[in-house]
Amino acid sequence: MSGKIAFVTPRYGTEIMGGAESAVRRLAEHLRTETGWETEVHTTCALDPHTWANDLEEGTSHLHGVTVHRHASAQGRLPDFYGLDGLLRLAPQLTTRAQAERWVDYNGPVSPQLVEAVCASDADVVALTPYLYHPTVATIGRVPMPAVFHPAAHDEPALYFPVFRGTFGDADAFCYYTAAERALVERMYPVADRPQIVLGLGVGESEGTGRPGGELVGLGDRPYVVSVGRVDEHKGSKMLAAYFATYKERHPGPLALVLVGPVSSELPAHPDIVVTGAVEEADKWDIVRDALVAVSPSALESFSLVVIEAWVDRVPVLVNGSCGPTREHCERSGGGLWFSSYPEFDAVLERLLADDALRAELGGRGRAYVDGHFRWPVLVRRYDAFVTTVAERGRGAPGLF
Amino acid sequence: MDHTDTDATPTGAHGAPEDPKAYVEQVMAEIAEEVRLRRSSGDLPPKLERELDELFLAHSPVAGRGGDLGEALRMVDAATFIDPVVPVESERAAGQFVKKGMRSLLLWYVGWVTHQMSQSASAVSRALHIVDERLTELERRVEVQRVPDAGVIEFPSLHGPDSWWVEPAVASLAKAPGRVLHAACGDGWLVRRIVAAGGDAYGVDPRPRQVDVPGSGPSDLREAAVVDHLRAVAPAALGGIVLSATVEGMAGGERAQLLAAVGTRLAPGGTFVVHSVSRTSWDAADAPAETDLAPGRPLRPEAWCRLLEDSGYQAEARQGPGGNDFLVVATRDAVTAPYAPSGR
Repeated sequence: MSGKIAFVTPRYGTEIMGGAESAVRRLAEHLRTETGWETEVHTTCALDPHTWANDLEEGTSHLHGVTVHRHASAQGRLPDFYGLDGLLRLAPQLTTRAQAERWVDYNGPVSPQLVEAVCASDADVVALTPYLYHPTVATIGRVPMPAVFHPAAHDEPALYFPVFRGTFGDADAFCYYTAAERALVERMYPVADRPQIVLGLGVGESEGTGRPGGELVGLGDRPYVVSVGRVDEHKGSKMLAAYFATYKERHPGPLALVLVGPVSSELPAHPDIVVTGAVEEADKWDIVRDALVAVSPSALESFSLVVIEAWVDRVPVLVNGSCGPTREHCERSGGGLWFSSYPEFDAVLERLLADDALRAELGGRGRAYVDGHFRWPVLVRRYDAFVTTVAERGRGAPGLF
Repeated sequence: MDHTDTDATPTGAHGAPEDPKAYVEQVMAEIAEEVRLRRSSGDLPPKLERELDELFLAHSPVAGRGGDLGEALRMVDAATFIDPVVPVESERAAGQFVKKGMRSLLLWYVGWVTHQMSQSASAVSRALHIVDERLTELERRVEVQRVPDAGVIEFPSLHGPDSWWVEPAVASLAKAPGRVLHAACGDGWLVRRIVAAGGDAYGVDPRPRQVDVPGSGPSDLREAAVVDHLRAVAPAALGGIVLSATVEGMAGGERAQLLAAVGTRLAPGGTFVVHSVSRTSWDAADAPAETDLAPGRPLRPEAWCRLLEDSGYQAEARQGPGGNDFLVVATRDAVTAPYAPSGR
């Protein structure tokens, strides 16, 4: 179908690494180049998700062919947010609607301009992501065109807040990253009858330049395992560092751990742990390619592109067993294993490092999974067909409400 | 593509299961055994394991670790001992000395308190282990008597786009006041037919290889059991529900659950369509082997009409050629109380 789709997301740009915002940029760009859809984005001027400060200029611009409308935020994240968040996290199921609405306002970014602009857009379909922020919550119930919701939900306290019942209820259709995300949402909200698609994210081929990964991180020929993503306590980095340090005490040797990504939480120094900080995309691919295992320690992922990228280079993965989406990837692909305690981490890592055939088998299965499911042309064709159906059904079609 | 399920797991060139999930579960089972052996040999000091557990749990999902009672009990046991010897490390030169002195002075007091706390925690832990043992025994006994779910049982000659009942079923859904759900949808043949007739339909099927998400094309098909799916649908949200290859082998309890879920999710004016094979087909020599394993047998059309009329539907049954199967179409003007078997 040829039509116009408007994406709504609190941040947008090449500066934003990972997360739902980065995912929607990639989808918008591929949709524009590979289908007849005209794409526009409504977002704020923010780069920093902790403040939502208006860092970028307001107005309309173009990024990789996609029209980007940036709207100033009237309010960023309020200092009172953290106190309220801490309080509501203690018993999220007991949160009142008034408290939850205040939580959304305090969390920001609040941009009435953005809401009005989306409602006035001539788009045939609007796609909103993620569920957590004010632009989605304030917009989804007001738009006149069909709304495709990309919740990017994971099992966190905020998902239990009653304010989101309306947010999920106002969606005409859902686009999920994984079946685990769909199961989680449908466990929380009675929306299973709505049109939906489990899409995921696409990847291309490795962008590495062939330089030895060990040399790039100063390890020379030493074997290493890698973890890519923001180095952050909430992402499991602190746990991984502690688990790896314990592992090295029990299994001395040359093995190292390389953490690749911007650093939000400092980790204790350890002679066998290398923290690279943010690196060039090509370097990241080279570092991952030469790793023995790629570890995803985060329990709160809604897709985890880094797991998929590791499989592009046939690197087996080790994931947090309590993270539904990454574990689902492992089970559906046969490309990785998981841990739910230190003893499991120890046993799995020891087995993986000692068994070349197992690593090769897992890596090969992971690669086949990526080729079968997460290549952009396949994804974009499916999304095209899906949003075409949603546009044809219209807003609030019979049976939706 | 062959979707036939067999008991044996197909294996690849190196003896590893071809099925990805079976493959990683096999490896993880070996890991679990290794972990069990290590734990029983006291491989890791309990205090260290507890600290490492806390790191894992700090940012785990709200719903926890999948409700594994054994794992939760292990963590209760690990947390039972409360150490009265407080750490004395300090960044200041005199800090360690001061802390050490305070620890020595207070150890008798802290030790007395923590001893009682540990005893209390230990008593709770023992009680929980007794509960765990009794639950395990109960589960074992319940499992022996458990009535298995019927599953999907397809008769190739009766389930497909050319079957006689498809046309009247689709016609009965023409005025459905909302989306139509088809279970078990297979590759979506009936969903496509309803959509082609101008309806809005989607399907669910519990058989994993039937509904392959990436290959499903524009149809909205999902891997799910129909009762589980209906539980995640808002009340009165569906305009029509079609069940085929679903109800024949159900035992009474499973059928009652399904009808209760249908009753609350179907919108006023909605249409409920049931296709079932007859007992003659069920008992025929060429019937699928699953018929022997199913916990129930097909109801007669009269029984279906009675069941549905008791739940507030106007039901009409139509026999198929040769008495091999039948179609029941039921409509209901208003949402009524969920179905409950008579006599309750």
